[in-house]
Amino acid sequence: MKVSVVSRSGREVVKGGIELKDSAKVADLQEAIHAKTKKYYPARQRLTLPAQPGKSGKPVVLSQKASLSEYCEKGSGSLTVVFKDLGPQVYYSTLFFWEYVGPLIIYPIFYYLPVYKYFGYEGERVIHPVQTYAMYYFCFHYFKRIMETFFVHRFSHATSPVSNVFRNCAYYWTFGAYIAYYCNHPLYTPVSDLQMKIGFGIGVVCQIANFYCHILLRNLRSPTGSGGYQIPRGFLFNIVTCANYTTEIYQWLGFNIATQTVAGYVFLAVAAAIMTNWALGKHSRLRKLFDGKDGQPKYPRRWVILPPFL
Amino acid sequence: PIKPPGTRPQAAAAITPPRVVPSAPPEIRPAAREEAAAETMAAVKRAYLAVYNWAVFFGWAQVLYFAVDALLRSGHEGVYAAVERPLQLAQTAAVLEILHGLVGLVRSPVSATLPQIGSRLFVTWGILWSFPETRTHILVSSLVISWSITEIIRYSFFGTKELFGSAPSSLLWLRYSSFLVMYPTGISSEVGLIYIALQFIKASEKYCIRMPNKWNYSFDYFYASILVLLVYVPGTFSCPRYRFMPESSTPSVCALTVDKLTLDTGSPHMYTYMLGQRKKALANSKTA
Repeated sequence: MKVSVVSRSGREVVKGGIELKDSAKVADLQEAIHAKTKKYYPARQRLTLPAQPGKSGKPVVLSQKASLSEYCEKGSGSLTVVFKDLGPQVYYSTLFFWEYVGPLIIYPIFYYLPVYKYFGYEGERVIHPVQTYAMYYFCFHYFKRIMETFFVHRFSHATSPVSNVFRNCAYYWTFGAYIAYYCNHPLYTPVSDLQMKIGFGIGVVCQIANFYCHILLRNLRSPTGSGGYQIPRGFLFNIVTCANYTTEIYQWLGFNIATQTVAGYVFLAVAAAIMTNWALGKHSRLRKLFDGKDGQPKYPRRWVILPPFL
Repeated sequence: PIKPPGTRPQAAAAITPPRVVPSAPPEIRPAAREEAAAETMAAVKRAYLAVYNWAVFFGWAQVLYFAVDALLRSGHEGVYAAVERPLQLAQTAAVLEILHGLVGLVRSPVSATLPQIGSRLFVTWGILWSFPETRTHILVSSLVISWSITEIIRYSFFGTKELFGSAPSSLLWLRYSSFLVMYPTGISSEVGLIYIALQFIKASEKYCIRMPNKWNYSFDYFYASILVLLVYVPGTFSCPRYRFMPESSTPSVCALTVDKLTLDTGSPHMYTYMLGQRKKALANSKTA
């Protein structure tokens, strides 16, 4: 079949179109486009069907695994796809690695190295036990995240735009330094022993719970990474859609109860807001997809992210 | 009808043609009362906005008058003392505009309003009011005159729109042309004053929180001010800091959907963008 590839402004991206077998898949089309255009590797391509005049709504994105014939107009042996360049991409695992490795390195710098000298604090630093535990806790948390990135998570999209690397790293690294500065400060005031134990206790329990949530989510997706949606089940997912975010938020709360810094609480608030945003999107996507019609199960009533608030 | 000027950065979603009061189809009579109520509501909104805009206009007019008067009479050292009250009132009243955006009275994206009002309030209260040593500087005069001229034009433009449904093209021209001068002078004054204040900020320790404390927190006003200065620095191409504030939910007769263009402190990148917008807007107004 003949596929013509046009840009959103109508210009031909591949002159003369591409000739493919009738049984070809979208992935084959992507390979062919890459071969013809050299710089647009498949991860950069976003292929959609042309918008129907008069019809509104989001354009249909071509799914990589699907057959091209699924998208052809009835009867015709040809297809027009609209091409959008998503810009240079990086693997999600790359993105996550660089985000997380920052705090992992930055926090110990504030703990071990005499940085406070440069802020005007001369002399010996007395390190409280809670500061040591906080350092291990914080670093373990980011180490865990890196491990999960490579060994646990199954991503729905393989890649993310390169610009996200800078934006996300700025977020994690800046907050990492901000928290590390106060937690390791020479004039740091520790909380009571009991409060520290409660805080870290909550944190550790929630980190374990969070890990288990990630395992459950991983098992929803097949190794071939078809990236579809399933109703999450089991453990906390039976009551909360985004139990993984819930446990993450409570884990940070534990850390803050133990360390008591405004910086830490600010980070908690911002992180919770971001995750809530994501959770609302995921929850509504799942509810829309699993509407109980056409053989789909109905999505059960659940909290979105933070019972009993949302 | 006048087309809204060109492509918009970021705030595109907020920019739509003036909202028409929804009216029920004629067959459904019970909705007629709802319709009347909605129309009264729209009228009340317009009245409020008209009063608001003209009141603040009057405040800024006072600022300009007292400023020029003091300049001519006693020189630039006396300008702040002459304008302090109306300046503080008029500038702080702008906080209401955030509220207007939040409750949907006007269609301005709060995320855009906040930075500009924030920076204005920072200079008004955080620099001038907090550090009297800065008040006699000549930049205060340029600041106050730049601000007041810009605001007089802006508030009269919207006040006229609310009262009469449309604004004369001369006012439109003024809005889109005054920025050519006011933008550079205003920003230079703001940046200059913050810079001058730095030494006093550092010496006074005002608004600083020091360690140790129970919440393990500190705040250094000096470094925070430097951070603010850096954010002013021109040439950032990431997010356009000049904002579109499409206002007025009331239907206008003259479909002047030209949005409330308020220039933020930002980049010369934005300045050239504005020049382009100006060209388009004035060309469009001619074809109306």
